[in-house]
Amino acid sequence: MNNLEIHRSPSYPYYPSVMFNAETGVCDIVGESYMEEAYKFYLPLINWIKEFIREKGQKIELNIKLVYFNTSTTKCLLDIFEILRYYKEDQNGVFEITWFYDKDDPDMIDEVKDFEKEADLSINIKEF
Amino acid sequence: MNRETRKVYQSHLLFYEGPFFIDLLTIFGNYLKLYTNKYPVSQKKLFKIYVELVQNVANYAEETYHLQNEDREIGVGEFYLTDRETHYRLTTKNVVKAKDARVLSQRCEIINNSDFYQLKELKRELRKTSPGVKFGARIGLVHAKLISENNLEYTTIEQNRNVSIFKITAKVDKYE
Repeated sequence: MNNLEIHRSPSYPYYPSVMFNAETGVCDIVGESYMEEAYKFYLPLINWIKEFIREKGQKIELNIKLVYFNTSTTKCLLDIFEILRYYKEDQNGVFEITWFYDKDDPDMIDEVKDFEKEADLSINIKEF
Repeated sequence: MNRETRKVYQSHLLFYEGPFFIDLLTIFGNYLKLYTNKYPVSQKKLFKIYVELVQNVANYAEETYHLQNEDREIGVGEFYLTDRETHYRLTTKNVVKAKDARVLSQRCEIINNSDFYQLKELKRELRKTSPGVKFGARIGLVHAKLISENNLEYTTIEQNRNVSIFKITAKVDKYE
């Protein structure tokens, strides 16, 4: 299984950078995410996670450092969270989600807490 | 340009009218961040609201521009950012179907009459029930009110039996 790497380009700042490591299960999403068709961008990420669960079955460590994201992105993130929740419930899979937020962004903690409630899982919140 | 018009334009930090291309909107978004960086909390709130409001125009405006290369339509409208002593005002304006104008006004009224917790619940509900890959304009408006912490100001101006102009403004206080 290959790593999934998408590098952020200054020309397209509305796409985040992505580094999903197939050896360690560490998955980083960093930057801004306000593209027009979020599902097109996130579908390969979702598929990668599904494949990782199927083939490796190791711990997944998802680190999210998104400074901005649009409402379409939230739906894709909730899809990822749901897959992780099912991974734990159905296969005793292990995962850890950490959300890094900017201290100048008081709304972000609220947003993450909403994710926790909606996805019914817990997310570590850390300042960066 | 008369004195009144000049005065209005002088209070605008940003103004744009035309097709809402994401790449162009990104450039304006960068200027928005630059012009408001004296107030980092407000800057972040403004950018989040900006993204939601301009993407509503790009996705749902009745007047569209055909993108030749991608063979799709992109919404046309205008937006402006105004600097006031205690706050910023971010406005978008676009043509909508007359029936959509009524629906949008009703949605804004519901949003304005909801408190923080009701809005959170509404947002959750919309996320759950929205069909397909798009949420529609509703969730972006809920988000705008939640983030701005002020009521949305909105007006509809009837153009003819079929279309109206929908104008919406989010006010963001300057947080020290």
